[in-house]
Amino acid sequence: MLLDYDRLGGWRWGLVAIGSAVMLFLLLPIVFIAALSFGDSQWLVFPPPGWTTQWYQQLLTDPVWVNALLTSAKVAVMVTLLSVVLGLLAALGLARSRFFGKSALQAFFLTPMVLPVVVLAVALYAFFLKLGLTGTLTGFVIGHLIIALPFSIITIGNSLQSFDSALEDAAMICGAGPLEVKWRVTLPAIRLGLFAAAIFSFLISWDEVVLSIFMASPTLQTLPVLIWSTLRQDLTPVIASASTLLVAFTVLLMLLASFLKKGSRQ
Amino acid sequence: MTTPFLQIRGLRKTYDQVVAIDQVSLDIKQGEFMTFLGPSGSGKSTTLYIVAGFQEPTEGQVLLNGKSLLDVAPNKRNIGMVFQRYTLFPHLTVGENVAFPLRVRRRPESEVKAKVAKMLELVHLAEYRDRLPGQLSGGQQQRVAIARALAYDPPLLLMDEPLSALDKKLREEIQFELRRIHQETGVTILYVTHDQEEALRLSDRIAVFSQGRIEQVGTGEELYEHPSSRFVAGFIGNSNFLPVKVEQMGGGRARAIFPNGQAVEGDARAFAAGSEGTLMVRPEKMRIRPHAASARGLAVTVRDMTYLGDSMHFAVQTPWEQELAVRMAVGDGQGLCIGSSAVLEWDAQHGHVFA
Repeated sequence: MLLDYDRLGGWRWGLVAIGSAVMLFLLLPIVFIAALSFGDSQWLVFPPPGWTTQWYQQLLTDPVWVNALLTSAKVAVMVTLLSVVLGLLAALGLARSRFFGKSALQAFFLTPMVLPVVVLAVALYAFFLKLGLTGTLTGFVIGHLIIALPFSIITIGNSLQSFDSALEDAAMICGAGPLEVKWRVTLPAIRLGLFAAAIFSFLISWDEVVLSIFMASPTLQTLPVLIWSTLRQDLTPVIASASTLLVAFTVLLMLLASFLKKGSRQ
Repeated sequence: MTTPFLQIRGLRKTYDQVVAIDQVSLDIKQGEFMTFLGPSGSGKSTTLYIVAGFQEPTEGQVLLNGKSLLDVAPNKRNIGMVFQRYTLFPHLTVGENVAFPLRVRRRPESEVKAKVAKMLELVHLAEYRDRLPGQLSGGQQQRVAIARALAYDPPLLLMDEPLSALDKKLREEIQFELRRIHQETGVTILYVTHDQEEALRLSDRIAVFSQGRIEQVGTGEELYEHPSSRFVAGFIGNSNFLPVKVEQMGGGRARAIFPNGQAVEGDARAFAAGSEGTLMVRPEKMRIRPHAASARGLAVTVRDMTYLGDSMHFAVQTPWEQELAVRMAVGDGQGLCIGSSAVLEWDAQHGHVFA
């Protein structure tokens, strides 16, 4: 390559500087938040005069925060399960059959990815008000599922594409019935795709905030919604600790995802 | 007469308007190694896939031991199959791959263990039992596939170009293994290939497919020595095709005229006198004589000669400027050089006249 890193000579330090600056710009806010969440200043003074874990204690004992955390977890788990199951069925249908309007249907499945979330949120809000689904767990799950499903369909579809369907023929001639073939051969072969779809779906639901603000009620809200609404009322380090937890968990899942990706390449 | 082991009766398969196979009928004996040979698109794989159950024929019947196979679902046919691509289950070890058909059949664990050990022994891969398929070479993977296909003692083993993805040396090695496995197990094998050498090497009998029909069925020797059509003659072995006009027929022989007016005789099926035909002679059945020792031969000019170690290869030109290939033992062509005039001879029974 013309712009080979090894042949840049002195310019490479310039490149390193730009890269580092961008990285700092992206990472510093997160580091600040994490540091503040352990600081003992009520007013989020930086650098913190001393260290404490009291904000975390407060977070984990205040029923409002705990409830929000539990709601977030419940919604995310349900969205994950539904997204993987429905995504698998849709991807199988799209990968294995030929029918009129297939590509149109494929595009339709992916529209939530390109549609502005706020538009979707307003539409769903109006619709769910009529159905009485706003402020319910079902409302949250359906809303998040709509955004998560395209990622599931794409991820599982990709792993189905690299899966040789002759394996299914081989399993069938070995004596396995149609369902047994799927269970014993197809699903294990695309399991990395299923895991990836699950992680993506969980993460999408876990830090979704726009739809959630519309869906939330004073008694039922997810963690990101609570952070958002608390932030508008008063500035407390509890927000920083909640944010840090949110980020930490996300990072953990991202690490798991990249670990799986590495495993699939072997 | 006892019913044949496997009967293929008048199979026909059409996709929309395209006829994939037509009037395919064949009887296969128990323990026979039968090869479907033909170019791609000749219908050999379609026939195999109908026997396997992945496709349904438009017309016709397949009977195993006198009972229809077509009414049985593919997973209940109890047939073994090895595919062109490596179809080992990537998430299962070699041992678990071989065990798969037994586990599906809910056989007891002790039996599964013993059978897996025995099958891996058969394909000489016992020490690879705990490896994953991805850690094996292509040849090893196909051998595991053979072990898996034979693990449940199927009466019939189908093989769809199983060696086409392997290089030549490996291919020959596994061909040898296949012959041994066939002899040791006595399983009936239906084998599909487009490689005539492979077909000759492996098969008891060969069915030559062309354009969706069976052209000829016979042993390799029968097909080589007595091809029934120009297609079979061209597909199996090397051959020279000379244009002739048939003059008269009688007793399975045709008397024909070359374009230069010279008369020639050859084996032939029914022919109308006066029709255009082709005379086929194998390169190794021809002899070149240095000068006009015999008036019966065809006058030719030597264009090229190649030393091939075990034989000499000659390119000669006929009076109507057609180039022919001749192969002779080294030493038989003495006195010939490039450019010299010579006479080409062959015995009448080695000439075959086709339409």
